[in-house]
Amino acid sequence: MHLEIITPEKRLFSGETELVKLPGTGGSFEVLMNHAPAISTLAEGKIKVKEPNGNVTYFEITGGVVEIKSNNIIVLVDSTGLV
Amino acid sequence: MANLKEMRLRIVSVKSTQQVTRAMKMVSAAKLRKAQDAIIQIRPYAEKLHDILVNLVEQNGSSDFENKYAGHKEVKKVLIIAITSNRGLCGGFNANVVKKVEELLATTYADFYEKRMVDVIAIGKKGVDGLRAKNISVSGTLPQLYDGLQYSSAEVVAQDLMNSFSNGEYDRIDLVYNQFKNAAIQKLMVEQFLPVEIREEPTHIADTHHYFSNYIFEPSVQEIMETVIPKSLKIQFYKAILDSLASEHGARMTAMHKATDNASELVRALNLQYNKARQSAITGEILEIVSGANALQSS
Repeated sequence: MHLEIITPEKRLFSGETELVKLPGTGGSFEVLMNHAPAISTLAEGKIKVKEPNGNVTYFEITGGVVEIKSNNIIVLVDSTGLV
Repeated sequence: MANLKEMRLRIVSVKSTQQVTRAMKMVSAAKLRKAQDAIIQIRPYAEKLHDILVNLVEQNGSSDFENKYAGHKEVKKVLIIAITSNRGLCGGFNANVVKKVEELLATTYADFYEKRMVDVIAIGKKGVDGLRAKNISVSGTLPQLYDGLQYSSAEVVAQDLMNSFSNGEYDRIDLVYNQFKNAAIQKLMVEQFLPVEIREEPTHIADTHHYFSNYIFEPSVQEIMETVIPKSLKIQFYKAILDSLASEHGARMTAMHKATDNASELVRALNLQYNKARQSAITGEILEIVSGANALQSS
């Protein structure tokens, strides 16, 4: 499944992933293959990204929105720091 | 001829001016590329955010949504934000914005203006100067925004504007700015900033519409709207600033290119004139020598 993490200033991540963990405002949740379409707001926290080759990356965010649709995840974040 | 020296000096001075304009053109070209990159960077974010917003509105059933940034009330007081540059020498770039503001005050907002219900804020020093020269009072100015422009600094300004809308100070906020088309073309835009307006492109909705019936919204459509709308407003504002910045550099590049060309033309004309004058001076001298020699011989 394809993930994109975008801030107003740059594209932080773009590529295939196996698992994405997001800090939703209603609680943190994970997205795997074939997740149902969803739109959610994000709270302050970390995004965990696991790539198919086993690499795990974390992105620290202050808030944002995510859209999940037909195995495409687009995360719009306010500001970030790579951890 | 005494003016030969004057002409030589004139040619030198035009050439050095040309050097300055050429350098300015180069600098603008480099800055333009940077500004253009910033626009390209923000585009995916802005587009995606807009998509999500359109989806939400679709889900809501109608575009008549409840939000503190949406317009329900009657427009009493208007704020116009003129986005210009801090520096000049960029052709009609700033003059166009000033002219447009003047036109808005004379036409669309004439009634409000008479009742002193229109405020103008200028971003950029040149806008302030231009508007004051036309006797339009500028109630605020933000020249520092351009120093190392960042989303975070634009966000703060946008938030202030949004607050002044939501607490009822203004009922409508318009942006006047140059939209960047390409290096040579800027399109002057008057854009409604607040109340929020969600433009739905019919073609876009047609091909994605059927997906949305089974969307999961977390926590709820209403709450998502409340976070997405301010975000989208801030992005709209930031984008307008970026557009204006890129347009400024584009306009300056074009203006300086023209100035360089004009200088070349002037140098060419002056050189021709100078050579003609020199030639005629030489001819005159030869004539004098020859006639002098003739006079000596015949005597």
